[in-house]
Amino acid sequence: MSRELLASQKNHSGIVLDPRTKLAVLTTIAVFILGGSYEGVMQYYIIVLAAIPLLLLLSAGKWKGAVLYLLIFGGSLCLELFGLSYLTGVANFIAVAIVGLFLRFTPGIVMGYFVVTTTTVSEFVAAMERLHLPQQITIPMSVMFRFFPTVAEEWSAIGDAMRMRGVRFGGGKAGSILEYRMVPMMICSVKIGEELSAAALTRGLGGPVKRTNICKIWFRAQDIVLLLICLGAFAAQVYVWAARG
Amino acid sequence: MNRLQGKDLINIGIFTAIYFIVIFAAASIGFIPIFIPLISVIVPLVGGIPMMLFFSKIKKFGMLTICGLLLGVIMLLTGMGYWCIPTGLIFGLISDFMMKGCGYKNAKREVLIHGVFSMWVIGAFIPIVVTRDAYYQNLLPGYGQEYADTLMAYMPDWILPVLLAAAFVSGLVGGLIGRKLFKKHFERAGIVS
Repeated sequence: MSRELLASQKNHSGIVLDPRTKLAVLTTIAVFILGGSYEGVMQYYIIVLAAIPLLLLLSAGKWKGAVLYLLIFGGSLCLELFGLSYLTGVANFIAVAIVGLFLRFTPGIVMGYFVVTTTTVSEFVAAMERLHLPQQITIPMSVMFRFFPTVAEEWSAIGDAMRMRGVRFGGGKAGSILEYRMVPMMICSVKIGEELSAAALTRGLGGPVKRTNICKIWFRAQDIVLLLICLGAFAAQVYVWAARG
Repeated sequence: MNRLQGKDLINIGIFTAIYFIVIFAAASIGFIPIFIPLISVIVPLVGGIPMMLFFSKIKKFGMLTICGLLLGVIMLLTGMGYWCIPTGLIFGLISDFMMKGCGYKNAKREVLIHGVFSMWVIGAFIPIVVTRDAYYQNLLPGYGQEYADTLMAYMPDWILPVLLAAAFVSGLVGGLIGRKLFKKHFERAGIVS
């Protein structure tokens, strides 16, 4: 497996966080940076939120990712704050849209990347069990996250094969793209899915007894700090609403 | 045994993942503002293929509800707002009852059920209409005045029921397409027993 989302092996580097904290930070970023209103205090608070993924990337020694993130996000932020008022018309429209997309999406993507590369499947399941989510939610969810990269991998492999047969845009068979790509995709996904459930059942998934988990997860000092920052975001939002009346 | 087993739960995860990737690829056209209303047509249309296969695997109550909930959660994480969680739950639950009603075997009914299930997509549009002012204010700093104005001009208040109907109809069409491919390929290949 070259590409995987939830890591299968633990790599000990950087700040160790509880998976629940990571999920909380991810949700907070998704709510406030991707879908939030940037009014009042919030437009400064999102910078604090956006700094969390950067900090985590640095601590994990992912220098390339950190620099790239700093360039994209920091660059967009500077442009938005200082540059955009000099542009007019169509150029302004396009620049604002692109900068807006970068500003909104990069922190979420980077945090998501950090979460999935540093959390093992077992930790993820342990965290969701601690949150007292029922098995009916935890199992599909972990399978889903495990399955995204597999689907992407199969998709690109099928794409290669189909391009060889001329099934591509502008290849004369554009109309059949949907069918010729989706059907093999479905068939191999079903096969993989059957193997996956056989493997999981062998390990006692879906048994009548409560499953144990070897992962020990608990909140450390760094978790508490990050959780407080997340809480702060919600508090700031409430404050903004209250101030608006 | 009527409770959901490990195998069913794994199936939910797998098909939700496929469904999400397919619709996400299709919905990327929404980055261009005038195409945003079209999402409610395109998503059910292409989603029909994986969903019809998923429906054939469903033999128990509750699988579509969980699928809808999971879709809502991913939509939240990918920045489409939290409205997809309730709509996913509601339409998933209705679809589940309809599935139960037809005994999990009626292929024609499954096309109708796909139409109903597809209506969850309306969750992505609710914030634009219901909380229009707040949504507009949100767009301003992020995307700029012109983008926000263009989007608002294409999304009048009466568009919500229209989109809901559009999602339902294209869900039916998507279901029919899925059904056709299904007969042509999957049954012959022995994927469906």
